[in-house]
This record gives sequence, C-alpha cells and structure tokens, in this order.
Amino acid sequence: MIYIFDGAMGTMLQNAGLPPGYCPELWNQEQPAVITAIHKSYIDSGSDIIETNTFGANRIKLTHYGLEKKVALLNTAAVQAARAACGPNTKIAGSVGPTGKLIVPLGDLSFDDAYDVFFEQISALDQAGVDMILIETIIDIQEMRAALLAAKAASKKPVICQMSFGADERTVTGTDPVTATIILEAMGADIIGVNCSLGPAQLLPIVEKIAQTTNCPISVQANAGMPSLINKQTVFPMQPEEMGLWAKKLVTAGARYIGGCCGTTPKHIKSIYQAVKNLNISALPAVQLAKKSTALTSRSKTIYLGADHPTVIIGERINPTGRKQLAADIASGQFISVKKEALSQVRAGAQLLDVNMGVPGIDQAKAMQYVIQELSMLVDTPLVIDTTDVNALEAGLKAYPGRALINSVSAESERLDSFLPLAKKYGAAILCLPISPTGVPKTAQDRLLVTQSIIHRAFDIGLKPGDFVLDALILTAAADASAGLEALATLKLYRQHLGYPTTMGLSNISFGLPRRDLINATFCAMALNAGLDAPILNPYDPLMQQTLAASALLLGHDPSGRSYSVNYAPTNQSEERAAPLTPKNIIEEIHLAIVSGEKEAVVPLVEQALKEGHSSIEISEQALTTAMNKVGIAFGSGQCFLPQVLLAAESMRAAFLTIKKELPAHTTTSLGTVILATVKGDIHDLGKNIVAALLENNGFTVIDLGKDISPEKIVEKTIEHQADIVGLCALMTTTMPQIDQTIAALKAAGCSAQTIVGGAVLTQEYANQANADSYAANGVDAVTIAKGFMADKVH
Amino acid sequence: MPIYNPTIQRLDMSELKRYSGLTKCTEFPQRLLDQACTEAQIISQPKASWQIYDYDASTSTILSPDPLSLPPTVISKHLANSLKVAVIAVTIGDNLEELVSEYFIKDEYTLGLLLDAAGTTAVELAADQACELIKQEANKQGYTTLFRFSPGYGQWDIRVQPQILALAHGHEINITATSTCMLLPRKSITAVIGLTPTVSSLPDKEAVERSKCEQCQQINCLSRKD
Repeated sequence: MIYIFDGAMGTMLQNAGLPPGYCPELWNQEQPAVITAIHKSYIDSGSDIIETNTFGANRIKLTHYGLEKKVALLNTAAVQAARAACGPNTKIAGSVGPTGKLIVPLGDLSFDDAYDVFFEQISALDQAGVDMILIETIIDIQEMRAALLAAKAASKKPVICQMSFGADERTVTGTDPVTATIILEAMGADIIGVNCSLGPAQLLPIVEKIAQTTNCPISVQANAGMPSLINKQTVFPMQPEEMGLWAKKLVTAGARYIGGCCGTTPKHIKSIYQAVKNLNISALPAVQLAKKSTALTSRSKTIYLGADHPTVIIGERINPTGRKQLAADIASGQFISVKKEALSQVRAGAQLLDVNMGVPGIDQAKAMQYVIQELSMLVDTPLVIDTTDVNALEAGLKAYPGRALINSVSAESERLDSFLPLAKKYGAAILCLPISPTGVPKTAQDRLLVTQSIIHRAFDIGLKPGDFVLDALILTAAADASAGLEALATLKLYRQHLGYPTTMGLSNISFGLPRRDLINATFCAMALNAGLDAPILNPYDPLMQQTLAASALLLGHDPSGRSYSVNYAPTNQSEERAAPLTPKNIIEEIHLAIVSGEKEAVVPLVEQALKEGHSSIEISEQALTTAMNKVGIAFGSGQCFLPQVLLAAESMRAAFLTIKKELPAHTTTSLGTVILATVKGDIHDLGKNIVAALLENNGFTVIDLGKDISPEKIVEKTIEHQADIVGLCALMTTTMPQIDQTIAALKAAGCSAQTIVGGAVLTQEYANQANADSYAANGVDAVTIAKGFMADKVH
Repeated sequence: MPIYNPTIQRLDMSELKRYSGLTKCTEFPQRLLDQACTEAQIISQPKASWQIYDYDASTSTILSPDPLSLPPTVISKHLANSLKVAVIAVTIGDNLEELVSEYFIKDEYTLGLLLDAAGTTAVELAADQACELIKQEANKQGYTTLFRFSPGYGQWDIRVQPQILALAHGHEINITATSTCMLLPRKSITAVIGLTPTVSSLPDKEAVERSKCEQCQQINCLSRKD
C-alpha cells in the first residue's frame, strides 16, 4: 500500500492571502474555513493523509508572535479544521516542526526544555484526535530524539520521523541518513523519512540509503526542486508532471508514504497520486537490506559489530579505576585528561570509547552527562556508557546524540529491572554480562545460560536482535587456570547458539602477571579466532595493535593484506634520506642537536661535555652560538622555518640551563638589554613573544613589558633599565600610530636606545616615516639587527 | 538565529602548518603538531552567533534597525548582487591564548606557536561550520551565499569592527571589541556573508580562495594563497 501525503501548507496560505510576517497557525483559530479548504484541495487531489497546520505551533515558535499561551488552542483548532475536510478514509498527521533552536551542546536549548516543548504540543495534537504524529524538517538529531521521546510519552499513535538533509546527504549538524535511521528505529519511530531542503532528485539516494538500513516504512516529502529567487520571491521550479515521474522512482527506492514539501501544490500531489497510487508494489524490485548486525552510532558515524564486520576496538582508557590522576581530573570537574584520552585513543585506532565516571563521592550522573556531551562534540566515535549507577546511565543516554552501548546488563534483577527499560527508551544496545544473582558462572555452558536469560528479559521489554553485544567474561589467569579456556569456550558457544556480536575486557586475563602486554596480545589472537568481535583493550599497546593487524589479515577482514602491508612493509625511506652527519666530537654533537632542535638530547650531551672537561665558554661559543647562527642563516635563505628556529632556541635554552645547573658560578655576558613591548591598544603578543625568546637565547637581556603598553611606561622602563634597544610591535592599522608616538616619546625623553619595529601590518616604509632605527620582518631579522646595533656600539 | 556551538573534531593539519609557517617544511616532529591539535581541540570553546539583514546594494547599506553604510571599496563590490547579508561572529574563547602564553613562559616556544596556529585553524573551522548552516538556510529560500568577508581585509577599515560585532549579536557569545577595534577573545572572527539570488554556475573553491587573497593588501600574511 502506498499512502499519499499532502503538499505545502505555507505556499497555499500565502496564496490565500496570509500577510507576510503573520503567524500561519493563528489562522487555525481566525480563518479555519481557509485551512479546511486547503486540506480539502489536497484530499481532492488524492491525499490519504493530511498534515495539520501546526508546523510552528510550539511554545518557542509561537513566542515570536506573543502566542506562547495558545499552544493547546491553536493545535486543537488545527486538528478541527483538518477533520472538517476529511473523508471517511482520510487520516490526519499532526505536524510537529523544529523549535528553531539547536539543542545543547550544539545550541543553548536544553534537552529537557525541548522535550517539554514538544510534549506540550504533541499532547494537544493527540487529545484533539490526530491519527499519527509527524515530526518533520529536523536538522539536529538531538532535537529529533527529544521530540520522539515526547511523542512516545504523550501519545500512543504512530510516530513519523522526518529529518532534513543537505546536498552532501548529511544534516547540517553532521548526521547521515543511515545513522539517523539506526538511532530513530532503535528509539521506536514507526515510520522514518526525509523532507524539505532538497528536490526529489537529491532525496532519491537518501531514500535508498534509508531503505537499505531499516524495515520500517519510509516516508518522503521533497520540495518542488531546488529554489531560485525571482523578483525577490522564492520560486520552486519543478512542475507537477516531473514530480510525478520522480515519485515513481522514490517508491521504487523504497518509499511508501509520499507527498510534497515546499513549493508543492495540489497539482503536484495529484500528479504524484496518478503516478504511484496504483503501482503494484510486489512487482517492484526488492530493496536489499544491508546485513543486519548490531550497530552503534555517534551523531555522525555508524559502527557495525559482528562476524561479518572487521574487529572493532573498544578503547578502555576512560576509566578512573586504579588511575589517580584521571580520577582527580574527573572529581575536579575539569575532564581535561578524559578528553585527551578520548582523542588519543581515537588516534590509536579505537572505534568505540568506553566511558566510566566511577569516582567515589562524586555526582556520577552529572559527570556522565557533561562528559557525554563534551565527547560528542570532540570525537565522532560512538560511545559505550560504562556504569552501575542507573541515574548516571539515564543522564548519559539522554545526553548522547547517538545510539550508545550500555556496559553492562547482568542477570541480577536490579540491573535487569532498571537498565533494560532505559535501553528501550533511549534506543541503546546492551552489553550482556553473564553474572547471575548467585555470582559468576564458572563454565562456558553456565555463562551461555545466564546470557540467554538476560536476552529473554530484554525481548520481553521490547529489545530486538540487533540490540545485543555479549561479554564472554574474563577472569584472571593467575588466579584461575581455566580462565582463558572458559572465556574462549564461551565465545564459541555464543557464536554457535546466539550469533550476536561479542566482547571482552581483555586485560583482566593478565592481572598480577609480568609482561601483561604479551599475555593480552596472545589471548586476543586466540579470542578473535574463537569469535571475539569487539575487544575492550588499551589501544596504545603496540603489541596488541600488531596482533590485531595480523589477525585481521588471517581472519579475512583485510583483503590481500593491504592494510597490514601498508603498516608493516619495510620502507626504503632510510636509504633515500641523506646520510646523517657524523659528529666528530661532543661539541659537534651539541651543535647538531641544537640545529636539529633535539631538546631532550641536548641536556645529557652538555652534561657529558662538562664532565669531559670542556669549559662552559667553549660549549657556548663553539656549539650553541654557532648553531643558532647557522639556524638563523638557514631561516634567512628559506631552508629552515620559524617553528624549527624556535625548536633550536628551546634546545639552546635547555643547554644554557644545564650549564647553569652544573656550574652555578657560571655567568654569561649579556650582549645588551632590550625592552620589548606590544604598543598601547594592541593585544597581540605572539610575535613579540617569539622575538623575546630568540633574543634571549642569543644572549640578550630581555625586559618584556607585555602587550597594550603605553609610551610613558616604555620610556620609563627604557630609562630604568638603561636599555640598549627598544623593540616595538603593532599588529593592526589601528595601533600602528602608537609606534610613532612611542618613538617620539623616547626621543623626547632623550633615550638613546636604538628602536626596532615590527608586526604584521608594518613595513620598512612605515618604519622610516615613524623614525624607527630599523624594521624587522621577523624574529630572526630582529636578532640580526640587534646584534648589528650592539657590534656598532662596541666599535 | 540561535547560538550555535560548532564542533572541533578534526583540525586540518595542512592549515595548521600554513598558519605556523611550515607549509614548505618537509621534516618536522609530528608529535608536536599532534599535541597542538589535541590541546586546541580540548580547550577550544567554539561559539557562533549571527543575524540576517536585508541589504540595499544600490546604497551599500545593511538594513539593520540602525542601518550601516559600507564604504565604496571591495566589500561593496563583493556584495553588489546581494539582497541580504548574514553578519556573523565566531570565537573559540580565551582558554587557548592563555595556554599559548603559558607555553612561552615555560620556554616551550614551539608548542606555543603551533597552538596559536591550531587556534586559528579551529576558529576558521568553527566559522566554516556556521557558514554552512547559513548557506543551507539560504539555499532553501533560493539564495546562494558568498564567501565571508571580514573587517580589516580587502581595504575594509577595521574600525567598523564594533558595529559589525553588534550586528552579529557577538556580545551574546561574549565577544567584545577594544577601543582599537580588536576582538576579545583574540581568536575571534566577525564577517559579512552576502546572500545573492541563486545563480547557475559558481567559481571553483580554489579560485574563490585565491580571489579572496588577491583582493587583500596584507601581502605578508601567512595565510595568503599565491
């Protein structure tokens, strides 16, 4: 059966005389006959389902018109106006559009507030007698999640969820149709679809992707093509006949509910009706569903788990158990270490991230909500919510704009009673942990039975086969000689009897033993062969990474060993590189280390040189200074770049500090005193900081006054420190005149210090007219000029 | 339009290298580049706000409640076919610049420089995302968006900054302008985006980027594309 929706309401209202800027929904109350007539025109054109004129009838949108207290009234009036147009077989869909705000963390509307807004509107629509709820034109999956939860709570009627995608087949907030479909199906959407933004040609591949992802019925309501602006009016170009041709293609792609969005009229709907209403669906080529398995998603990415998919690494590092620094970071509410672990694990190859906030004494729900929100902005890796705290679980699930995995659900009644309904409500998958009320089953057979009992309870709640990941449960090999074998046997039984994807916290096996990395990697290889799909592990472990790469090849997940070869084939890189210079002695070694910017290498070399009896002056002059000079020359000739110069300067600094530490009496002669400042009104100081670093490491005494410094202060400090040079920096045209004023002030005060000026907008010409003694285009030039000044001064 | 908090999930390494002066450098410790990216991602607090106004191209005036006339320079030519403009403000907050200063104090100059470049990359990425939102909304109404044009570039006097910031409602995301027209936090951007009637063909992205730079007189700019 194919159902025909109606077309645009806004276009029809404008044609009926709705004044620009007037609230369209207010006509439900003021002009119900007009609304009914529009509905009637669509029904006469073939619509089976008409949509109420309530797209913007939520509290937030109505606030723009001062009508926020009329939510129930306007929604009820809309349903009545629609009902007045209906024939005996016409159904009414209660239209629910976006709030116009983005949900936290993308925007400033809280999830709970969004839920309340939708609940209010959908309750009104439900009580007024709509046949179904249509949530449409949503660009933020989190807003759709809030609306869908509200719809499920406010109504027992079917819910249609339609997202809006861009030309890149993603919502503007990054969600692709496959990911959206997985999230919404798991949360209980009855019909999943797409509307607005694009014409039918652009929506066709999106419908195809949705159809390959779900068995849910699919809806589509395209615009009448891509709009143009003609005489300041938005014009949708597609004619009704063409819309009808596309309708047939959309139905062939899998759509069963079809109508129109912006720019479509009763004529378009009639054309769609004529093209598809009597199509023999059973004669259409069947849409091939992608292989079903457990899928987890973030806002913008889907990861599949199971025997038909490559092994998925679940990063275990966001867990404060036994990690004092991470625990302290979580307890302090900073979460810097948590974020670093997230990014680092993803870089190391983790495809899912386990998130555990189990720090005693903290509000775990608050911490989990915050971290889930933050991580959802930071990484696109789906998350595993790892907690025993039901409040933390719900806070995390609510905050997550994706389909999470719950770690874990055991067969203990408290866990089953509290966790399974949350999994169902928020569309999460569950990690089934075979622990029963009587404890940990020893044998694989017993573990299978316990896991089966969890799954049965989950089915009773409404979970489905794609909602499970099974844990084989690893005990410590040092304490239980059969730990490894039972876990492997459990994996095999899972595959044989249940077929759902499997996981294990691998590192438990090696607890208390030496070379844990060796045991973990070896056990991982065994487990992968026994049916492990998604190990929970430390992704930084190189041996584990090597084992996983080799296993992928051996288990057929890396065709032709391409990925393995890319990572592990020997390269000729070392042969192609120029042969490294071989230093003749320790002084040359230090010199080379400075030039190469090897800060860590410099310190022991300097210590060694001092021990060998080289004087600090010899080291300074023959190794350090010559190295910095060489770097400066290389920079000037374009063979070396600013960050490399700074690396060399850092190495030089480390060398000086080492000499100072080893020979506290050692003193160096200053080349001269330099006052540095970013001029008044200017807040940029990066360039000035770079100049300061380079001058200091070339032997100058630098008095860095900072940024936004007045001429008076610069004059005062120049006199106070009897400075040889004043370096002035300005980055903006608005602050350049301060260069002139400062130089004039210095001269008026009788300062004889040489002035060097620089900064993004400054030029040699400007320096000349400002009476500066010199212009430096960059920090290296500044050092050269400063040295020149001092040399002239000495002579 | 609501406040929008862009996501900084990936920083373009080539952009980071460009802003830090490493474009032509073939050997540099990846560890430092990764660290700069990671830290920028962690501490950035990206936010964007914008408002859309009608625009009178014949008088080069943004028709805001307090209309703003634009000078007859490149910005007016750029907006010559625009019927509306989006005025946007974007920031990544001030945490990053504080950390950059800390690195210089700790003698870790290189990381300070790279982190500053990563911050520039981040705020540009945040602006790109906000512009994409504006673009999709504009496309729905039959408009095409032009590339964003900021005060201080292409002969557009930086002194317009406070007015542009006000039009973008930048104060709602805690951006302010100094008396010398600089933005605080420092890693912030304001810009105007023209909305023109949809046309059939647009220049390719690279050509647009080059054209942006050709219009600008900042010939020493690290970001300049030849």
